Amino acid sequence: MRLNNAIIIGAGPAGLTAAATCAENGMNVLVIDEYMRTGGRLLGQLYEEPDGGWWNGIEESRNLYEKAVELGVEFHLNTPVNNLENEGGVWTIYTEQEIFQTEHLLLATGAAESPIPIPGWTLPGVMSVGAAQVMTNVHRVQPGDRGIIIGVNVLSAAIAMELSLANIEVVSLALPEKNLITQESANPKEVMKSLLHVSHMAPSKFARWGSRLMKNSFMQTLGVNFYPKSGVKMWNIPVQLRKAVTEIYGDDKVEGVKLATINAKGEIVPGSEENITLDFVCIAGGLYPLAELAAVAGCPFYLVEELGGYVPLHNERMETPLQGLYVAGNITGIEGAKVAASQGRTAGLSMVCHATENQLEDEINYSMEQTSKTREEAHIQFHPEIDKGRTKILNQWKSYHLEE
Amino acid sequence: MTRRILDHPILGKMEDLDDSNYVSFQFNEVIYQGIENESLAAALLANGIRTLRYHEESGRARGIYCNIGHCYECRVTIDGRPGVRACLTPVKEGMDVVSGKPISSNEGGVSSEAE
Amino acid sequence: MNKDELIICRCEEVNYQTLRDTAHKYQCTSRELKLRTRAGMGYCGGRSCRLMVDKIANSNEGEQDLTYISLKYQPPVRPIKFEDLGGDKN
Repeated sequence: MRLNNAIIIGAGPAGLTAAATCAENGMNVLVIDEYMRTGGRLLGQLYEEPDGGWWNGIEESRNLYEKAVELGVEFHLNTPVNNLENEGGVWTIYTEQEIFQTEHLLLATGAAESPIPIPGWTLPGVMSVGAAQVMTNVHRVQPGDRGIIIGVNVLSAAIAMELSLANIEVVSLALPEKNLITQESANPKEVMKSLLHVSHMAPSKFARWGSRLMKNSFMQTLGVNFYPKSGVKMWNIPVQLRKAVTEIYGDDKVEGVKLATINAKGEIVPGSEENITLDFVCIAGGLYPLAELAAVAGCPFYLVEELGGYVPLHNERMETPLQGLYVAGNITGIEGAKVAASQGRTAGLSMVCHATENQLEDEINYSMEQTSKTREEAHIQFHPEIDKGRTKILNQWKSYHLEE
Repeated sequence: MTRRILDHPILGKMEDLDDSNYVSFQFNEVIYQGIENESLAAALLANGIRTLRYHEESGRARGIYCNIGHCYECRVTIDGRPGVRACLTPVKEGMDVVSGKPISSNEGGVSSEAE
Repeated sequence: MNKDELIICRCEEVNYQTLRDTAHKYQCTSRELKLRTRAGMGYCGGRSCRLMVDKIANSNEGEQDLTYISLKYQPPVRPIKFEDLGGDKN
């Protein structure tokens, strides 16, 4: 049994930033992650910034990690956490290897990918779009020679660009077939609307994101033409809102997909199916907060669609209603790595405040302001109404404490 | 066939890669090469291997799905230990990896969520 | 691969038809749907399919309670092998 001042579960941008913040304020900090490297989802990210430089997730992760190590943060990687318990203000963290204890526990477990079920999607060669991203940018192994992405959204568009950068052929971004589960993601109009939401950043911001590779007119074409059957090209990849994948076929691995034309409501046009030969398929259903540890810890939750699903109740200081339990990053709602890091700093400062005599009100307020600013400036926004979602969870926090 | 991305227009060349970085490991009794400490899932894919196991009941082929430890689809038996996620396991020299096969009883002896 | 069989729970290979029929027949909650079909009770603990099981069950249900997670999370959130439960054996 080991006792630490602060324990952080999750070594992504939120966890690493929180760890450095706690350590530079004199706490002894342990970071636990089940992955073999630090960085979390940040590792795979690669996109062009408005200033023309590249946001390289591997470098960003390395910088955050090295800073934490310099400050004396200890890391336990390859260490899955199974369970949490609280007794008398002490959190016990059960891992596959060891048991740890702390009075100040931060959950920065990030997000998981939502699936989109397609007939044949259990075949080897079908993977989540995030899996293809990590294979390509982190492990530097091609997920295949020629693939298709099912699900059109901000994340899948960004990763399509990354795959094409690595010279991997993506024949199309298309929709899934409509059913009880796929709902909006299978409806061309809804998908179009969600993309147009992003266009408040267009043509300036949206177009700048990958500007060298993307046709500037993409968003305009999206809005004007409804909708060429061959799709609209983005980084030379057809975005086909009027095509749906009805089946993935192959004997014991992906050999191809059946692609059908759909009408504006997402209904299949009979007889329009064609076979497309491929060796991999990416499923892009978006992200949802991975909050299972907060749930087993007994934290209250609130369902906020704008944040990506159920999120643990928390305030702007990243405190939960449970004593000594904090949250930061995508577990609190789906946003970019820079927002996650900023939340991590706030969480770290809150932990320091509770653990030591240090009064850090000014720093905390400043850090909270920085988070809002980072959010406003984010050029990849996963949900168009993220601010509305943030307000909802804060209001729920207030009404929860009124009920107490 | 899948390939390594040895050079990348933005990420550059793979860092300091030479023969000394490669290790040998065994998958279903065949010897393959991988880069030491890369994930087993990546090493297998770089060798063109997509099928990591067969579903315990239906026997259908399965491969990586999420690649970051959430879905457990890539679980294999490593050095006799069943139910290990290939996507989270660093490749080491001499590692002995076997893919799960359809069987009647639960080979892993798993105490999973039960309600 | 046949088109009629759309797997929802990959771990337990529970398909769309079974889930939809069960949800319809018993007009059940997500939790009951899970128990009746085993969807979400496999190796991954429902991390992959819980949202889909919810959606199928919710097509029955009326107003959703926003403060209540319909498919409860239970420890362990990662499967524990029996050999590990006894502590240090090697």
